[in-house]
Order: sequence, then structure tokens, then C-alpha cells
Amino acid sequence: MSNALPVVDKKFEPKDFKSDLKPIWCPGCGDFGVLQSLYRALAAIGRPAHEIAFVSGIGCSSRIPGYTTAYGFNTVHGRALPIAQGIKIANPSLLVLCAGGDGDGFSIGGGHVAHAVRRNIDLTYIVMDNQIYGLTKGQLSPTSPRGLKTVTSSLGSLEDPVNPLLYVLGYGASFVAQGTAADLPGLAAIIEEGIRFPGFAFINVQSPCVTYGEDEWQIKEQRARMKSLESLGHDPKDQLHAMDLARAYGKELYTGVFYRNPAPSPTYDQLVLERQKEKGASAPDPARVLDSLIQR
Amino acid sequence: MLDNLVIGMAGSGGDGIVSAGETLVAAAATEGYYGIMTKSFGSQIRGGESSCRVRISSGPVLNPGGTLDVAVALNWPDFLKFGAELPVGGNTVVIYEAKSGVTADKIPIVGVTPAEVVAVPFGELAKKMGGTDKAKNTVVLGLLAGWFDVARETLIKNVAKKLAKKGPEVVAAAERAFNAGVAYAAEHPLKSDMRMAPPKDGRGTKILTDGNDMCAAAAIFAGCRFFGGYPITPSTEVMQYLSREIWKYGGAVLQAEDEIAGVGAAVGASFAGVKSMTATSGPGMSLKTEMIGLASIAELPLVVVNVQRGGPSTGMPTKPEQADLFQACFSAHGDGPRPVLAPTTVADTFGMTVEAFNIAEEYQTPVILLSDQEIGQRKEACTPVDTAKYKVVERLRPTPAELEDYTRFRFTDTGVSPVSQPGMLGGNYLAAGIEHNEKGDPTASGAMHGKMNDKRHKKLVPLVHRRDLFHVEGDPAAPLALISWGSTAGVCREALAIARRRGISAKLLVPYLLFPVAEEVYHEFFIGVKAGLVVELSHQGQLYRLLRMYVDVPRGIRSMCRSGAAPYLPEDVVRELRAATLGLQGETAETRQPQE
Ligand SMILES: Cc1ncc(C[n+]2csc(CCOP(=O)(O)OP(=O)(O)O)c2C)c(N)n1
Ligand code: SF4
Ligand SMILES: [Mg+2]
Repeated sequence: MSNALPVVDKKFEPKDFKSDLKPIWCPGCGDFGVLQSLYRALAAIGRPAHEIAFVSGIGCSSRIPGYTTAYGFNTVHGRALPIAQGIKIANPSLLVLCAGGDGDGFSIGGGHVAHAVRRNIDLTYIVMDNQIYGLTKGQLSPTSPRGLKTVTSSLGSLEDPVNPLLYVLGYGASFVAQGTAADLPGLAAIIEEGIRFPGFAFINVQSPCVTYGEDEWQIKEQRARMKSLESLGHDPKDQLHAMDLARAYGKELYTGVFYRNPAPSPTYDQLVLERQKEKGASAPDPARVLDSLIQR
Repeated sequence: MLDNLVIGMAGSGGDGIVSAGETLVAAAATEGYYGIMTKSFGSQIRGGESSCRVRISSGPVLNPGGTLDVAVALNWPDFLKFGAELPVGGNTVVIYEAKSGVTADKIPIVGVTPAEVVAVPFGELAKKMGGTDKAKNTVVLGLLAGWFDVARETLIKNVAKKLAKKGPEVVAAAERAFNAGVAYAAEHPLKSDMRMAPPKDGRGTKILTDGNDMCAAAAIFAGCRFFGGYPITPSTEVMQYLSREIWKYGGAVLQAEDEIAGVGAAVGASFAGVKSMTATSGPGMSLKTEMIGLASIAELPLVVVNVQRGGPSTGMPTKPEQADLFQACFSAHGDGPRPVLAPTTVADTFGMTVEAFNIAEEYQTPVILLSDQEIGQRKEACTPVDTAKYKVVERLRPTPAELEDYTRFRFTDTGVSPVSQPGMLGGNYLAAGIEHNEKGDPTASGAMHGKMNDKRHKKLVPLVHRRDLFHVEGDPAAPLALISWGSTAGVCREALAIARRRGISAKLLVPYLLFPVAEEVYHEFFIGVKAGLVVELSHQGQLYRLLRMYVDVPRGIRSMCRSGAAPYLPEDVVRELRAATLGLQGETAETRQPQE
């Protein structure tokens, strides 16, 4: 099923991953920063664009694959992860990226996250978290803080936000990080590390919505608040401490790697390849698939 | 001598009546008989009542048969629970457990006098000869082999083989129980000779399988190398088969977290260039509809199998119904086209599954294969499919020249444009659920949306001219017509033959392609037709309604429809056909519409 891809011996520049499509995002949207960081990370990784499959759901953020030269798939709301996993299983030699919004990933698509985690399938999932529904014009999101007034919660929301970091750590994810559109080199480094991680890598990115987001969520405010986990002396091998720090989601803006499993489980895609190799050794002829049903 | 025998048996869960049926149909298949076995259970997870129907024939069989030739009741309450599924008639030989204390003239079957009623001490023979009450089903097999002369040698061998693991004592006991049944039959001959004629073909000439396994095997043949799905009765065997077999062919199965993820992964795998499938039943089908729309607009091949059960909602998970036709044709949001195909037997499930993949690949479209519980889960002994007869189609991929300036959704005469896949240098494009231009770039242009809808529909036009996807049988000039699909078509095929023997001349149209509706095919079929029936298991008469929507249906064509669970019997259709002939003789048959 997998076909070995040609090794292209070439140095890549961020601009090699930039497509001709002009982003529809509002000027100043945090998603521009995520895109820039992604170009840089991909250049550093050095895989040619045609070996990359970039899958997203629906939302402002989910437009991102179209702005890259990779094979893009802008799918349906909340379902990027299952589709990305199908791609990876069908062709494990591809570099598979997945991206979307907070609503896409933790509301409608929330049920899929646990399963991508438990398969430790080798793909990188970037959630562009703006605590709001951007595309549909400013409704409450699963990561909106309690009490937030939006067009669908005009009297203030009555529920607590999901904590994406704790959620994914809680499921036992092997790579969990957070970045911000206020620190592009830092974000590029985190994305690169996530892509290099052998397994499911989750990156939450604080990517503010300038149009519907609150003032205190914007780039300038984020820049003032952000604290690198490294500067706190956090050891990314320490899962419990990672969870403790992740509890501060919504209060503190920590950036960097919360948890990186030093001994992750084998990836689902690798196990698929091994099973195919083992079971496929006999190479049966598909034209004889019914032979075993003959009653003798 | 008989060349066709329909046996219905029922007992409580521990009686092993279904296992006896399986052993019987397998032995008959080994000896070269054709056959069908269906099973039916009460609602308990384990235990409770269970029944099966075994039909053995020297010629091909297309349905589980009508009224029983032989009814076996290990206890009356359980037998009676199956009602219309195990119909007893004036020609039926009824065999029942003597211990029940009921005398032969007092059996609880009302309204009919069976040809013969025999009380057999199954439990007593089992205990005496087999050493345990559990050997009852083996006594039953011996008795059937004795009276009806079917597969005696193979049966005893298979019973022994099945128990070999349990040691020689258990095998010897089972053999004694079996022989006790045979001896009982010899000592108590039936009034009429009901021995089966020997099979026309020799040993080892039949395959034995169910529709779900057949579908899965055909998928492998057709090149399917990815399956994503979520368990749901009565479709799960498709995934179970593939999860054992597909790896050998370099494929993979993903048991997803839900139906959406299952079909989503299949869409992803197809985007990556691998032929993919998902299988489900009604409720799961509802969850998959958004993804079918995505495959439609992204023009990705995808096969979605729906093994229909009684609905709506959880409905009747282990019973057949044909009421998901509207859903298959019309659950699209927007004008998302989707071919809908339906097999009619286990045997033709092979060809229809291969066809589903071929159409999906050829036209880069989702295809829905509508099987049903009966086809999916019944065991059928049939002649092996000649796989050499089937071609396997691959999607149109771009040439190196086309990759120089690749345009994913290029407008072409056929509407089909070459599709690249990740890994192909130069083929990079954006697939999307959002409307796009030829390049694949998102667009908000209404004009472009119109053109793309044209493209997506134009691709499928050749399908309605595929005469091979429609079978016309019977007398082509007859003014009396039947139309039927799926498992019910097999009932109508037999009804047509019975009617012919009784001097009623009719013709039958079986559409394997349900959607898009091939208007011309129906119009041609209706030439000269004055009366007839559209026969299906759905309360609303969905095929009848669908035809009325697209086709000028003659006034004399009525809907013969009812809810599923118990399939139609051939006699039911013959009766209605006879009534329809009255219409031909000028006695205005009232045009009965489906019940609203
Ligand atoms: C099945 C379905 N339900 C609802 C929508 C409407 N919808 C599109 S995007 C969206 C939410 C977007 O928010 P988020 O995922 O946070 O992305 P953002 O726009 O903020 O980047 C909604 C509700 C849809 N497209 N599909
Ligand atoms: S609405 Fe918000 S999230 Fe969407 S593009 Fe504009 S700023 Fe960005
Ligand atoms: Mg959002």
C-alpha cells in the first residue's frame, strides 16, 4: 500500500511552501502568524511539498492548507483527524499534518482526539485556539472562558471551558505543546519538534481573533503574558508536572513542550506496515479469494 | 423424489438448532446441492428462542423458500414465537418433541391441517444414545438424513469433525445419537416418500458463504485496500472478514471510534490513492451522510455498504427490511449525486460489490451498495463465482504531461478529470468540501457552482444506459409485470416460475442500479404492460414511490409492500399476481396505493 517516495535532495525555503492563494483572514488575525511559523518549520524539516498531506476541518483556521503548496484537504467541520488518519494508514510514508480551530477540535470533533492519541498515529495536530467561533462570526467556543458574552451567550456563558492541554495529556498523549502567534520563531520551533516526534503530536496555539476576540487575548497582551516552560525549568519528561502546569490554561500563557514521552508506544502506522509485511508474505492472488469457501 | 426441500426448525437457545442447520446446509453443499440457510433469534443476547430455515435443492435457489416442507419444533412455545417466519401448510410434515405431551391431533398450529404430524422423543433418544440432552440436535440431523435422504455420509463425518477436539468418547456418543435418529426414521417411515433427489453436480462444486463475507471477499478482489468502520448489526461481518484477510493483500482495517470516523478514514485513504470502503446499517448510515457529501464534491471514489435492517432508529437489528432506499438516494445535502446499487442474492453480491468499486473509481464518486439483513447474513450454497469474468477498474490518474500544469477538476467531455494523490510530484492540489474552481481553489461564484454541479452529474449519465444492471425475465410480451429489488427480487423470481406453471404469464424487471433512476429502461419495460406489482419490504413502498417520481408508471401497476422482518413468500406474490390478472380481464382491479 505504501510507495516509497523519492528523496529530493534540495534545501527548502519557507516560501517554497507558500501557495498562490491569498488568505481570506482579517488583517491582524493570529492565523497569519501560525502560517508563517509553519512555513519555517516545513523548510527546516525539508520534505518536498508533494510528500505532505495537510488536512483541516472547517473554520477560519481550517483554511490554512490552501495557503500551503502541500496536498491539502479542507474537509468537514470537526473531522480532520479521522481523515488524516486514513491518509496516514493508506500511505505511511507521507508527512501528515492536521489543523483546525478550537470549535473544530474540541467541540464537534472532540470525540476523535482521544482515539488519535491512543493510536499514537504519526501526525501533527495544530489547534489554532482563539476561544471563539471566528468563521461563523463570534459565537461561544468550547474554550471560551466562563461568563463570556457572545452573540449566542448574550447574557454570559454558563459553562467552564475545556482545557485542551489537560484533555490531551489526560488521554495519555505522548507529545503536548503550546505556542502563540505572538512568538513566531518559538512557534516554528515547536511545530518542527512536533513534526519530528514519532507519533501523535498535539500543539495548541494561542492564535487570537482580532475581529471577535476580547482585547486582552490579542497579540500585544499575549506577548506581555507569555512564559516559556523552559524558563520555568520544566522537564518535559515529567508528565505529572506537565499536567500540573497545564491546569493553568486560561490563566497563564505557558509556551513550549509540556510533555514529550521519552519512550512512546510504537505508532499505529508503523504497526500497520509490520502487520502487512508479516501477513502479506504469502502474497495470495486476489482472483482466488473465494477458493477457501469451496465446500469439500 | 423431491428436488427441493424447505426445513424450518425452532428451539430454545441451548438446543443448538441453528448449529444443526449450519451443519446440514454445509453437508448438503459439500455433496453438491444448492441451498440457503437463514437464522432468526429472539431478542436475548444469549439463550432465548432461536430458529433456522434450511432450503436444499438440486437447482439454484434464490430465496429461503415458501411454506415449510418440514417443520421441527423442539418445543412449541419457541416454535410459535417465529410465526410467519416458519409457515406451516397443508403439505408440511410436522415433527415435534414427544415429551411436550401434546398429541398429534392437538398441536398448536391453527387453521391448517399438516400432511403429517410426528411426535419424536428427541430428548429421550439424545440422553439414551448420546448421553446428554444436548445431543438432541444431532438426533434431529440423523432423523432428517434418514427420512429425506440428504447428505447422510457427509453429515456424520462433519458432526464427528466438529467434535473431534472433545475426544473420541464425545464423538462416539454423537455418532450414536445421529444413528439413533436415522434408525428412528427407518422404523417410522413417512406416509409419502420425501427423499431428496441426488444433486446434479458432484461433490466439491459449491461454495458456501453469506452476503457479508461475499461482499468483503469481492472488495478484496476489486482492489479495496482500506476499510474504516464501526460495528453494527447486521453488517459487522464485513469488517470482521476484512480484519482477518485484508492484511494479506497489503491492506488495512481501522475499527474507528464511530461511523463518522470510519467513513472519514475511508475518504482520507481514498484521497491518498487507495480504494476504500465502509459498511454499516441504518443508524450508522445516518451518521455517514455528511462524509458522503464530501466524497461527492471532492470527487473521491468511496464504497459505502448499507446492510439494511428494520428501522427507523434501532428498529429491528436482526431482521431484513428494504426501507433505506429513500435515504440512500436522497440523504444528500445539496445536489450530491450518488449511484445506488443492490444485490439480490449472496452469489450476485460478488458482482455488485465489484461493480460498486468500478463505478466509484471510474466516476470518482461515492457509491452506495444496499444489501439487506437477509442477504448479508444468510448462508447460501452456490456455484463458485468465476472471477475471471470481472474486470477491475482503476481511477483515471494524470499523465506526466498533465502533471506539468495540473488542474484537478478540469472540465472534460465526460466530466471525469484525472485525479492525483499525495506523493505525486506536480499533482499538488487542494481537495475541499467547499465549492471550487477547476484548479481546486475555493470559489463563491454561483456560475462556477453551477458548472461543477453539471460536472458531478454529467459523469454519471452513462450509468443509466448500462442495460447489464437491469435484468428482465419471463415472457417479454406479457401484459402483467413485476418489479422487485434486493432480496425480495429472489422471491419474485420464484413467484414468476410458479405463476408460469399455473398458466399466468408475466415478466419481471430487477434493477441492480436503483439510482440514478434509468427512466428509459422502465419506459421500455412498461410497453404493453397493463397491470402488475412493485414488490418490496417497506411500509411506504419506497421503490414504487421512487419510480412514480421519475417514470410514467402505468395505472395498473400497484405497490405490493409491507414492513419487513418476515420476508415475503413466493406464494404471497403469486396470490397478488393472480389478483392482478383480474384487472387484465377487465374487472377493474382497484388501484391500491401503499398504506400511508
Ligand atoms: C456540521 C457543521 N456544523 C456547523 C458548521 C458551521 N461552522 C463552521 S465553522 C464553525 C466554528 C468555527 O470555529 P472554530 O472551529 O473555533 O474555528 P475558527 O473559525 O475560530 O478558526 C461552525 C460552527 C459546519 N460548517 N458544519
Ligand atoms: S474572524 Fe477572527 S479568526 Fe476569522 S479570520 Fe477574522 S480574525 Fe481570524
Ligand atoms: Mg475558534
